[in-house]
Amino acid sequence: MIKEVHMPKLSPKSDEYFFGKWDKQPGDAVKTGDVLFEVETEKAISQVESQEDGILKAQEVATGDTTKVGDLVATIEVA
Amino acid sequence: MITKHKAPTTKQKAPAKPSWLKVTYDQKKVDKMQDLLSGLKLNTVCAEANCPNLGECFGSGSASFIILGPNCTRACRFCDIPHGHPKDVDLLEPLRVAQATKKLGLSHVVVTSVDRDDLPDLGADQFVRTIKAIRELNPDTSIEVLTPDFQGREDCLDKVIAAGPDVFNHNMETVRSITPKVRNRATYDTSLHVLKYVKEHAPKTMYVKTGIMLGLGEKDEEVYQLMDDLRAIDVDFLTIGQYVQPGPKNYTLREWVPMKRYQEYYKQAMKRGFKFVASSPLVRSSYKAKEELEAVENQ
Repeated sequence: MIKEVHMPKLSPKSDEYFFGKWDKQPGDAVKTGDVLFEVETEKAISQVESQEDGILKAQEVATGDTTKVGDLVATIEVA
Repeated sequence: MITKHKAPTTKQKAPAKPSWLKVTYDQKKVDKMQDLLSGLKLNTVCAEANCPNLGECFGSGSASFIILGPNCTRACRFCDIPHGHPKDVDLLEPLRVAQATKKLGLSHVVVTSVDRDDLPDLGADQFVRTIKAIRELNPDTSIEVLTPDFQGREDCLDKVIAAGPDVFNHNMETVRSITPKVRNRATYDTSLHVLKYVKEHAPKTMYVKTGIMLGLGEKDEEVYQLMDDLRAIDVDFLTIGQYVQPGPKNYTLREWVPMKRYQEYYKQAMKRGFKFVASSPLVRSSYKAKEELEAVENQ
């Protein structure tokens, strides 16, 4: 089954963030709690953790992209 | 040859954030906390000030409540709390803070407020009501208040002292020379007076605490002068953390202060006799306040 990963709300006051970098590449195994990617908000660099166990299937955004809360960021294949 | 520097444009992206400004974020835990808090119609300084530690603190079930908000009567240039027309005092707010403290099972709670220069008591009575309500529902929870300067008015300070919080915090925010550039209607001397008065009039068991931000352009000797000023009036706790510019209209960040300087300031502050010092980029006045109090009480 494919699960979609959407941009979470990382900052109470803003819904648009700079995408930082990927910590997992397509084909990598990911576990719940692993850092998937980093996002730059006004006051911090937020490391976003996976909520799923599976294989990272696709990255839908790249470093420097402006992303909005709810945007599709990645897909994960879960067993 | 003279190099011509380009004038900075207003739309520049802020300087790249250093790697130590990385924080982790678990959406499920944060959502759970936010659901719980929004149901109680409470404001947290965590969300209002867009705190970088929100993920960690909410993830571990800790929060700092901000009463009398959400609008502040002052427009300090470092701050992200909305400045605007203040709302009527909500007399049920103290009870809701007490209920939230219970629901979250907090063993230590931090209560702060916006500035309320519009109220005859400057907001002191709401602090008193909140402390009393928390105590009634949570007799074992320690209480820390982070107060405004109350314009230095001793009658307001007397009220809050009499309500008996465990920790009385009032932030100096920065060194003397930068204070007028970043604070609004607040002065270095008024804040020192607040801390001095509380220390002199509070029972010995009440700790007095203050905090400053770095990266506003302060010099080492000014920070040491501030430490000396604080120790001269016997302030117990000091927190030192990195200023992060909330937005383009706020006071311009001068520097990401390197870790080495935080370590040096920690050493210098401990040498001067503070009971507890937290000095690190992500330190905020209420960050890990519970651990701080426990550390001192176990000494």
